[in-house]
Amino acid sequence: MTERALNELDTFRQEAGLSHGELWLRYFEMGGMSSGLELEAFLYGVLLPSAHDHDVIAHAINERFVELGGNHPVAYSKDVWSDSKFQTWTGGE
Amino acid sequence: MSLINDPSRFKVTTSFEGRSAVLGLHGRVESLAAFDLWAAMKGVIDRHRETVVLDLTELEFIGAAGLVALADAEKSFAEAGVELTVRTPSRLVKQLLGGMELNEVTRLDQALARLGHLGREQAGGSSHSSNRPNFEASCEDLRRMTAIPTAADVVDGALRLVVELAQISVGGADGVSVSLLRHGGLLTVAATDETVMEMDTDQYATGEGPCVDASRRGRWFHAESLETETRWPSFTPRARALGIMAILSSPLTAFEEPVGALNIYSRTASTFDREDQQTAAVFAGKASGILSDARAGATETQVAARFQEALRSREIIATAKGIVMERESLNEEDAFTTLLRQSIKSGVSLLDRAESFALSTGRPKTGCEHQQND
Repeated sequence: MTERALNELDTFRQEAGLSHGELWLRYFEMGGMSSGLELEAFLYGVLLPSAHDHDVIAHAINERFVELGGNHPVAYSKDVWSDSKFQTWTGGE
Repeated sequence: MSLINDPSRFKVTTSFEGRSAVLGLHGRVESLAAFDLWAAMKGVIDRHRETVVLDLTELEFIGAAGLVALADAEKSFAEAGVELTVRTPSRLVKQLLGGMELNEVTRLDQALARLGHLGREQAGGSSHSSNRPNFEASCEDLRRMTAIPTAADVVDGALRLVVELAQISVGGADGVSVSLLRHGGLLTVAATDETVMEMDTDQYATGEGPCVDASRRGRWFHAESLETETRWPSFTPRARALGIMAILSSPLTAFEEPVGALNIYSRTASTFDREDQQTAAVFAGKASGILSDARAGATETQVAARFQEALRSREIIATAKGIVMERESLNEEDAFTTLLRQSIKSGVSLLDRAESFALSTGRPKTGCEHQQND
């Protein structure tokens, strides 16, 4: 694995063409509890989200990629997927 | 706010080599960077330099707003009679093109060079962030993110850059176009060549085809081989007559509404694999970002309506979580993870998955689950 950028999630967000506001709405729809500002902090790697929060954000971005014809490029935590089909998110390391 | 205005995220350096000015772009080019970039360029033009080198070697990422800024820069230099050359590194190209290995770095320069004359009116209104949490803050975000007005011709220029880049990076692509819904009809605003233009027009004329469907229905369509394709009987023969054998159309959205499609055409059947589809999705995302940025501020009513919708979805998902918690004696987070896994496995969105759960409550499990259709 190559070194992972702190703002990796934000890069995915941009590639999916979602504004911060749109992503927060999708995150909120899925039950996300953090504020827009906290979400930005997660995206930029300033705050480390819980595995659960990470999965909600990852799925909000991934669903958008699926709508666009893509796959699930954002890795989930091992709680969601422990086999090798998707990359596993292991927190900020 | 420090998170958003963090200066380490983007920097322009100016240096001079003889009669040339070198503008070095470092970090990430996003919305805010566009203003810094503009200020630096203005400084260079005012000093009457004849050539400007745009050095992208240290650039880590370029987003939709960055593409607009570059298109804008190209136009401004052309207007001022300044000759522009671009230094592009493989690192940027790799980032830009989704981590693919690519040897055709020079073609990116060509794509930039071919942009031609574009308008310039990238408008101001610098960003800010609110300290208020949750709803209000994100409502503010939502308005801020959708309120950067961009002149239509700059947008079209940036979209032309997107189609050029998509053609370079999607394997098997012989032509790329962007169609947008304008005044109730579809219109091609960027196309790499005449055949592609004709392909789009044929779809508008017959009212069918992957481009039309992706634009109207907001999801992607892939015609793997037009030899065997049956979905668009009026359009398909016309495409074959022009030698097109495969089409991949990804939807473009602005503010969550479908507004057009990114269409990739090939003369070879079954040429687009999963990786190509993913790359196309990335470019469709970039183009959507450009369109969202360009959209002149969502109205209060639109913002309110979107919140209503989000609240409704949140309730449905919460209900489904409750059902899973009850049925499987799980806590809330584990119940969510269960729904998430099912959604991924079945290829159904989390909301649709939750909806079928929510609708199934109270009924005995006799297999007569209702599926909601819209």
